Amino acid sequence: MSVLKNWDINLRQSEKKTLLSFFILYLFFTTLLLLFMAIFYYNTQKDLMLKDKRVGLSKYANDEIKRLKYLHVNFDRVPRIYPRDKRFKSAIYDSVYTKIFSLLDSSDVDLNEDIYLKDGSIYYIKELESYYLGTKYVVIEVKDDGIWLKRVYKNLAIYGGGILAVLLLMGYFLLYLLLRPMREAIELLDRFIKDTTHELNTPVSTILSNIELSSKEQIDEKLQKRLNRIKIGARTISNLYQDLVFLTLSQKIESKKQNEDIAELLQERLEYFSLSIESKKITLKSKLSKGISLHVDKKKLTKLIDNLISNAIKYNKINGTIDVVLAEKYFYIKDSGRGIEKDKLDLIFKRYERADRSVGGFGIGLSIVSKIAQEEGLRVEIDSVFKKYTTVKVSW
Amino acid sequence: MRFFILCLLLVLNLSASVYQKNCLSCHNKLPIKIDKFFYRYLLKYSSAIETKYAMKLYLQNPKKENSILNPALLNRFGVKKKTTLSEKDLKKAIDEYWDKYKIFGKLK
Repeated sequence: MSVLKNWDINLRQSEKKTLLSFFILYLFFTTLLLLFMAIFYYNTQKDLMLKDKRVGLSKYANDEIKRLKYLHVNFDRVPRIYPRDKRFKSAIYDSVYTKIFSLLDSSDVDLNEDIYLKDGSIYYIKELESYYLGTKYVVIEVKDDGIWLKRVYKNLAIYGGGILAVLLLMGYFLLYLLLRPMREAIELLDRFIKDTTHELNTPVSTILSNIELSSKEQIDEKLQKRLNRIKIGARTISNLYQDLVFLTLSQKIESKKQNEDIAELLQERLEYFSLSIESKKITLKSKLSKGISLHVDKKKLTKLIDNLISNAIKYNKINGTIDVVLAEKYFYIKDSGRGIEKDKLDLIFKRYERADRSVGGFGIGLSIVSKIAQEEGLRVEIDSVFKKYTTVKVSW
Repeated sequence: MRFFILCLLLVLNLSASVYQKNCLSCHNKLPIKIDKFFYRYLLKYSSAIETKYAMKLYLQNPKKENSILNPALLNRFGVKKKTTLSEKDLKKAIDEYWDKYKIFGKLK
């Protein structure tokens, strides 16, 4: 599937699964087709070999019949010894398939066949017109030298392998052709998101820096409130920009891990969102144990925390609460928001899945959280009661 | 003494099987031994069930058409008389005849 690997926006899991299923199905049917061809070839070669052997075995059977005839005619005059031959083994059966005498290695003989191969031996059955010693069927058994089989295996390995390689190559090109429209659409989307993201950065940075500068000046309370609202909006756009950058470029960004003080980081991020918290009149209760550090990539952990705090604010009610607790082995963020319905809990880590569509968003936040947690070796658990609360616990 | 010999012959006659009394007694007088008939039956009918059935059919209803003898021998000896044995005795006689000359277990 190397056709897919260079895209910045990778195919979604379900699309990858579909392509993998197609490839497995193609491989399965190709192998099945080859298997049928191999079986057909094997049977044809076996029949040809048996046809070649038939003449010689028929002669052996005639020789044996002559000896049986002699024994039948002189049964009371000669020793009653069954005629033996070094070239083959034989057996005689009466008309109701009862064994009269046998020198065969196998006791299970199919008298309805003419000639067949079984367990490395060739069996030839000849029906008599006159039943000497009551014999209706003479069975001749000779060992198969296996030369034809070696030739069959050799040909199957050479030609079968060649055909399989050609069919797989054809499958690859077929897949490439099938993927072309999808690849072009994804490339277009990829380019669009990159361009948009790039274009967003400069104006958002300008807005934010100017708001910061304006906040330091003496301005009246009314204007300050307006500026704060613009700041929240601009930070929301800035967060979205950061998320998109993470999604589109995460594979190209090298991870820089170092020991990070988690309490410090959580405090810093809570301060960053303080305006948004205030704007919804949310009460923030934080209990952060000191001296807990983790060996992680700061940027990624910041992104994870930002997404969790942003969700706790976004999905909270006015005058709600947010609890942030940091302990030795975990931290959690609990909101008093809408909660998540039980049947939607399993889906919320999927990209573009949103449990609640009443507020804005793309549904990429928790997908990013899940991705970062996976990369940084963290475990994310969600506990939620619909219309009451949601707690997201990150443990290590 | 004469009485003793007569008694012995009577006992021997009484202990003889249906086959010995009713088949061998006549066939022993013929120039062709009884085993030759068996091998001719075997040559034509192969299995025990078919051979015994063909023998019974011929003995109960002897005809030129269902005889296994060749035409020359048939002309010379003719067709035998119909058997007077009961179904049960005839079966006993044929079974003994089969057991005596069958090929099964006799080849080495």
